[in-house]
Amino acid sequence: MNLIREIWQSIVRRDPLSTDKGKSELVFLNVWLHIHPAKVKKENLRFKHTFYLGFITFFLFLILLTTGIALMCYYRPFPPQAYQDMKDLQFVVFMGPFLRNMHRWAAHGMVVCVFLHMCRVFYTGSYKKPRQFNWVVGVLLLLLTLGLSFTGYLLPWDQLAYWAITVGTNIGSYAPLIGGQLRELLLGGHSVGEAALLRFYVLHVAVLPSLIILMTIVHFWRVRKDGGLSRPVWKLTPEKAEKLVTIGAPAEAVALSVATASKDKTYGLMEVVTGKPIFETITPEEEADTVFSYPYAFVREAVVLMATVTTIMTMSLFLNAPLEELANPAKTPNPAKAPWYFLGLQELVSHSALLGGVVAPALMVLALIAIPYFDRNPSRRPCDRKWIIWLFTFFVVVNLVLIVVGTFFRGPGWALVPPWVHVVSGAE
Amino acid sequence: MERRLQQLFFALSLVALALILAAAWQANTPSWKTYQKNFLQLEAQGEPNAVAKAAVLATPPEIHQSLLPGLQRVDRCTTCHLGVEDPTMKNAPEPFRYHAGLGPHVPARFGCTICHGGQGLATDKESAHGKVEFWQTPLLAKDYIRASCGRCHKEGDVPDVPELAEGRHLFETQGCRGCHKLNGVGGSIGPDLTEEGANRRAPEWLERHFLAPNAVSTGSAMPNFHFTKEQARNLTYYMLSLTSEEMGTYFSSMRSIPGPAYGRQLFIEKNCITCHAIGGVGAKTGPDLLGVTKRHSPEWLDEQLVNPELVYPGSAMPEYDLEPNARKALVAFMASATAEDVQSILSGKPRALAPEQIAIEAGKQNFARFGCVGCHGTELQGGVPNPNAQGGEVPSLLHVSDDYTKDEVIAIIRNGRAPPLDNPTGPTPPLYMPSWKHVLSDEDINRIADYLWSKQQVKKDSW
Repeated sequence: MNLIREIWQSIVRRDPLSTDKGKSELVFLNVWLHIHPAKVKKENLRFKHTFYLGFITFFLFLILLTTGIALMCYYRPFPPQAYQDMKDLQFVVFMGPFLRNMHRWAAHGMVVCVFLHMCRVFYTGSYKKPRQFNWVVGVLLLLLTLGLSFTGYLLPWDQLAYWAITVGTNIGSYAPLIGGQLRELLLGGHSVGEAALLRFYVLHVAVLPSLIILMTIVHFWRVRKDGGLSRPVWKLTPEKAEKLVTIGAPAEAVALSVATASKDKTYGLMEVVTGKPIFETITPEEEADTVFSYPYAFVREAVVLMATVTTIMTMSLFLNAPLEELANPAKTPNPAKAPWYFLGLQELVSHSALLGGVVAPALMVLALIAIPYFDRNPSRRPCDRKWIIWLFTFFVVVNLVLIVVGTFFRGPGWALVPPWVHVVSGAE
Repeated sequence: MERRLQQLFFALSLVALALILAAAWQANTPSWKTYQKNFLQLEAQGEPNAVAKAAVLATPPEIHQSLLPGLQRVDRCTTCHLGVEDPTMKNAPEPFRYHAGLGPHVPARFGCTICHGGQGLATDKESAHGKVEFWQTPLLAKDYIRASCGRCHKEGDVPDVPELAEGRHLFETQGCRGCHKLNGVGGSIGPDLTEEGANRRAPEWLERHFLAPNAVSTGSAMPNFHFTKEQARNLTYYMLSLTSEEMGTYFSSMRSIPGPAYGRQLFIEKNCITCHAIGGVGAKTGPDLLGVTKRHSPEWLDEQLVNPELVYPGSAMPEYDLEPNARKALVAFMASATAEDVQSILSGKPRALAPEQIAIEAGKQNFARFGCVGCHGTELQGGVPNPNAQGGEVPSLLHVSDDYTKDEVIAIIRNGRAPPLDNPTGPTPPLYMPSWKHVLSDEDINRIADYLWSKQQVKKDSW
């Protein structure tokens, strides 16, 4: 019995969780949990502040990582075999359809949640100083998510995949000067073929996941270093919004009196850093508003995790991931559509290739990245920033409308056809 | 609140566990296991004692599959169709019945889908029978299964399937290639038929289409050839057999062994003698073929038969759509052929041909082979309806010399032509004269013109 306790204590090395010290040590002595603060503000745990969209996105990514690694055991990235492996997953691999469905629905879910998370951060003004750079990291994560989803789209090697990627990469080739070369680099040739499948596979299972993991680490790290979660907008007072200071901005910080160093003393980091700490909880009243992460934050995260997992599992049990015929370069479906999240782009391209395929998306990404640096309004309260909220909402709605039109209202020859009209195509 | 959340967490965890169990249960109870269980019960009935019965019933369920690398297929049909090779299952109910009359076509070597269609990889009934979305080749109806013989038996007669040879004959003589490409040879007015059997339409559709093209696909440019029911059936069989799948040497036709006798037959059929001579007997247009197998490797000759232009730039020889075995047979014949052979071939013809008649005969062959007859008729009579073209139909060629010089006709063949319109504001006529200059050599076109001129009839009212 003693031995077991000894082993346990060698692993956890903390006081019992009944004590405050134990609750703190649970967080900062644990490599997986120490990204959390030991104590969090109650108001930041409120569902209606964040909707836990960041966590949901992260958990969806974890689902994708685990199911993706399992799927890799059954997949060969070569043209005829890739499709046959899909059929094997469907028909003979134990729980194969469930596995593939989970990966598929989690992938679509992640694209949606990353987008919603971005909207939440925008509407709460959380990209503002000192969090400008983390917003940029977030935009990169959005692009990486789209890249992962897009590269994964090709791997089943069916008609849907083949033509979506053909159309998708064609959109990219409208970029002046480098567009053609870029497409060729991505595809390893002039059209989607063997080389393209291998390149997309490498991007999908190695390059992009590594990048997205690295960027996620930076993203989480910066959430802490930028002062934790932003306060809910309903807690903001006009003065409060301007008072914040950061470590990175010593000029605005109140200088601390610095004692001369003594040779007999060992100094910790906290004692040599100048400037005021950036944490928003400073006053004793606010201190009273905080709770220990254990169990208050962790139990909420655990609930969100299980809610995410059960939602994806339920979908996977009843909805099958699409799989069409084997890819056939000689047989173009009409209309050939890009993956749904690029259909807004395709819709724009159908009006103007250069403007819709290159200028508009490039400007959109640049504008997204630039938002925190151009929006100099320090206030985070929605009533102080009406015009930018209207502008952002306008772009979001336009994007959504274009995607809906591209998905449901475009028939053969990219003609405007309402979804309730059935078009009989290709009478040969 | 915190308590509630903890309870919620445990509840959700239980739900997740239940979902995993549900998924596992779903994965563990596929319909094929039920079929296997029923089959074991059927088998156990025949066992003499309880011990043997128990042993049969204890057989663990497993997927049965034929791996067919030569056909690039994996067929799992025998997972449910368990009695296919077991003669004692002659009277068993489906899906367990014995498959009689397979001959050498054992499922282990040939699988099932190569003849029957369907989705070999699938393990549930709907998907396996291919009657699902996104599977192009559902099970063939019983009446049409024999068409699949032609997928491997590509040349010569297939025993018990006269429809195939008949269909192929119709295809080559009725001018189908005028509009349709097959294996790279033919026109482009209609769809390419090279993979017609692989992108299989419903056979019933094909058959009705041959009887009345416009009835099943509105606005089709294909003329009504007034085929009989049998002819439509034969053509449907031939269409269903067309596929560009690589069959692997083991599976490609084993009946017509590529020997000189078959080569001789092809030599006559393809009228090689209209251009070539052997040992000085024959025509002088092409090179003398005596000893050609000593001058060139078999591979070179094979390539030459596939694409003459590519091997021998400037070659006037047309492309022939020949199967690999047919090419081998021709090469074998050329290796052994002598002047006497040609003499006998020529004497077998109703009359010996004078040199200028040889050109006309070659023109006639081209006229038939490249599909001119499809629209202009086997007797140049024309008459295929072509709405809104002048006269409303494809013109007869029996009187071209009245309106055109030979050079003008050659130019029309070379460059193609849109038919003059009856009503200038009306719709474009579906049929038009394609340009042939990239398909036929000038020599071939001249010969066709020679042939046309040899057939000109003097107008009755002229003097």
